Amino acid sequence: MQGGGRVRSRSLSVTMRRSAMTLQNNMAKNQRGEAAPSSRMTGRERQMGGFSLLLESSDDEGPEEVTFEDSKADARRSMKRALDTARREKELLKEKRRKRQELFQEQKKRKLLSAEVLEEIDSTKQEQSHVKAAEEEAEPEEVEGRKRNWKQNAARNLKGNYTVTTVKQSTLASSQLKAAEDFLHSRMYGPGSRRTTSNEMLSLENKMGKNKSAAVQFVKKNWACQKKAKAEKLKKTWIHMQQIPSS
Amino acid sequence: MGEFKVHRVRFFDYMPSAIRAMVFSTRTERLALARADGALEIFNFSDNYFQEKVLPGHDGRAVEALCWVGPRLFSAGLNGEITEYDLENLRPRYTVEAYGGPIWTISVNSQGTLLAVGCEDGTVKMFEVLKERIQFQRNLDRQKGRIISLSWHPSGTLIAAGMMDMIRIFDAETGRATHRLLVDRGAGASKSKEVVVWSIAFLSDHTIISSDSAGKVQIWDGLNGTLIRTHLITKWDVLALSVSQDESSLVAGTSEGTVVQFQFISSTVDRLDKDWVRTRTFKNHSHDVRALAHTETAVVSGGMDTQLVVRPLLDKVEKNTRESAMRKVSFPHRSLVCCAKKAGLLLFQFPDHLELWRLGESDGYGKLGGSLPVKRGPEKLIQLKRKGEDHICCSALSPCGGWLAYSTVTSFRLYRLQNGSISICKVSKLPKDLLPAHQLCFSTNSSKLFASSSNSSVVVVALNELECKYLGTLKAKYGCRQPVHQLSASDNGKWLATANTDCEVHVYNLDKLKLHCTVPVYGSCPTAMAIHPTTSNLVVVHADQQIFEYSLVKKEYTEWSRRLQKQGLHSMWLERDTPITHVTFNPKNPAHIIVHDMFMFCIIDKSLPLPEAKNVLYNQMALRSLPEPDRVLHSHGFKICKDFQHLLCVSLLEDHSLVVVERPLLDIVSQLPAPVRQKKFAT
Repeated sequence: MQGGGRVRSRSLSVTMRRSAMTLQNNMAKNQRGEAAPSSRMTGRERQMGGFSLLLESSDDEGPEEVTFEDSKADARRSMKRALDTARREKELLKEKRRKRQELFQEQKKRKLLSAEVLEEIDSTKQEQSHVKAAEEEAEPEEVEGRKRNWKQNAARNLKGNYTVTTVKQSTLASSQLKAAEDFLHSRMYGPGSRRTTSNEMLSLENKMGKNKSAAVQFVKKNWACQKKAKAEKLKKTWIHMQQIPSS
Repeated sequence: MGEFKVHRVRFFDYMPSAIRAMVFSTRTERLALARADGALEIFNFSDNYFQEKVLPGHDGRAVEALCWVGPRLFSAGLNGEITEYDLENLRPRYTVEAYGGPIWTISVNSQGTLLAVGCEDGTVKMFEVLKERIQFQRNLDRQKGRIISLSWHPSGTLIAAGMMDMIRIFDAETGRATHRLLVDRGAGASKSKEVVVWSIAFLSDHTIISSDSAGKVQIWDGLNGTLIRTHLITKWDVLALSVSQDESSLVAGTSEGTVVQFQFISSTVDRLDKDWVRTRTFKNHSHDVRALAHTETAVVSGGMDTQLVVRPLLDKVEKNTRESAMRKVSFPHRSLVCCAKKAGLLLFQFPDHLELWRLGESDGYGKLGGSLPVKRGPEKLIQLKRKGEDHICCSALSPCGGWLAYSTVTSFRLYRLQNGSISICKVSKLPKDLLPAHQLCFSTNSSKLFASSSNSSVVVVALNELECKYLGTLKAKYGCRQPVHQLSASDNGKWLATANTDCEVHVYNLDKLKLHCTVPVYGSCPTAMAIHPTTSNLVVVHADQQIFEYSLVKKEYTEWSRRLQKQGLHSMWLERDTPITHVTFNPKNPAHIIVHDMFMFCIIDKSLPLPEAKNVLYNQMALRSLPEPDRVLHSHGFKICKDFQHLLCVSLLEDHSLVVVERPLLDIVSQLPAPVRQKKFAT
């Protein structure tokens, strides 16, 4: 705030004179403090310059004469300006938001497949699911052939050669086996099991053993190939960077 | 001795499977071991811990527990089945579905009449053990959680079951659960996870000992259902427990790889107040210990690091003797590599596939100990995946590289390789008698295939261009029921030698297809044998490291063999703890025998004097430093080379170059699953 201190002291004298103004708006009140010097500043720098003198002599001299309309117009103008700026800002924000939303939509569109491909997939999926459903129906029918009504099957297996195959009887037992193995695995290697890698264990042995040597990925040539390749690359780029400014 | 060009082969990615369960039978001195891929192994503890029998695994047979009922072996797995095994034909005899979901544990009562299994659905199922089968008797009271471990009281009236968060004691006659012992959960973060009682033991004084996933070993009073003592031994899980026969000692295996021993001793001299006191800690494993067995004199442990460790207890055996040394079994005691000597091909046997490789070539001449430039690298020619769910039991490659055969417990396949072993075609219409084969061997001229079958008999088939004709069956004398695990054919095609796990060695005359002679039985099981190409002497190496040479023509031991027995083998030779798995000969020098075990290979020169007890056995390095004339004075017949480790196969090709198949243990350890994270000071 320009001349903040001065404005406050001046505003006191100004508000005393403008008690007739009925503007209740907070913004206007604040602005009044600011607006007053801005409207005055244009014309009356000199007065600002001699402001300190004014203060000392304000008690002796009489108050300045400012018409009611003038000040009203001033105040209105300033308020309008304030409202304008606020509106402009709001609009700017809106614009920004709208643009961002569009960008996101665009990205999303790009990510998903085009509509035609989707349609195609959809249609094939439907076909596949139809076929699968038919197969699933066929298999249990083959196994429980006697229980089912043969007439239903007759339409399918009526003419020509057909082969009968057994379904792999592995579903329930193998899923239970898998669940049990998962339980074991999660107890031994799952979260909270505090495990480390073989590399670390062997490297620790190298470090603590009688003949101390480096970590195993440095001792053995064919370990940690990717890391070594990455390190090589980094080294090369660093050297290259070093050479450019010097050359 | 000679210089050899050595093919150092390191492209056999042999990966053993983790040990999942083990059980020791005091009566027969045998240890049965179950691996994660479903394979079972039987070790003979009275014969230098020799791996007698291997039953191949099966996809989906996730064995969780084993049980000896007298001489019979039962297993239970997560596939919900109880399987009894036929140990004479190396296959499952039958399976019984328990209909309780995955089975976590199996246990037999001390009378050997009832088998109890603990299932996922919370039931303990009782099976009656009958002569040829087992029969479901009844269920005990069904519980809400899964039954992870079981233990019978020695009287057979009570069963303790370890479940999630608690232990239940059942009355075996009525089936009612009488007591419920609540197990504390771990502290801190593990308070929210249920504690799993991994293992439990019921002693005859009604003490129950339990181990759980919070790292505790707890001692309970089974009569009152109260906790007596808690021992916190690790931050991770305590996965296995084993009690000795006399109930004075107990071992617990943890996820850290340590095995902690507790002994029932009194703290003062008088024997009144005995208590379970933690005594020793063994750290012999780098990964979780999942299976334990407490024999009378040793603690046997195995786990995720795939090695079987036998640790004799020093208060039961004499110190500093051969019996007190710790034994580690890392590699199988049979050969997984078949070398085609004429064609320079290698066949690698994996549980689920076979790989055929051609060896590389090198032109150059180098100095001793240096490596030669490789002109053409080794190439993998064929990878053959097995059909079906059974794992491969045995495989063989003919010396010319033209035939390949493998067998599982349910099928036998023979393939013809052509165009320099690149194209492969299956031979159909095999004779029916070829199932099941425990061991396969091709004759040297690739015209015959020998397959060992039931009752120690061998089936002989003739191989023509694309077909296979049954020639005959070689039968041993009546009463031999054990499987044949060693087969060796002579180079001239006249003899075939077989050895079975009953330590019987038979030699057959192939011209007449009849039994020629039986070698006198020696107490230890043969681990490798071969017939010399020119002298027709059979060289047999046994599990206790003894070597015999038997002349097939004269039907008696040779003079060199008698001399060796009279003088005795060097003590350092006898103290080696891995068996010899391959015997071969040198075509250029008929006095040479080449043998190897996991850590060394040795060329035995029969023309040189035998080492005496005071000589140093491993003297190759020392001899090299001596000047030429002195070497002859100090050298003896056993030339041992330890440059290559760890050996899976050593063979000599026709062009006089040595093939050494190595699989360093470090490469195996690097591919094991994650070990626990141990925080060490200053790391």
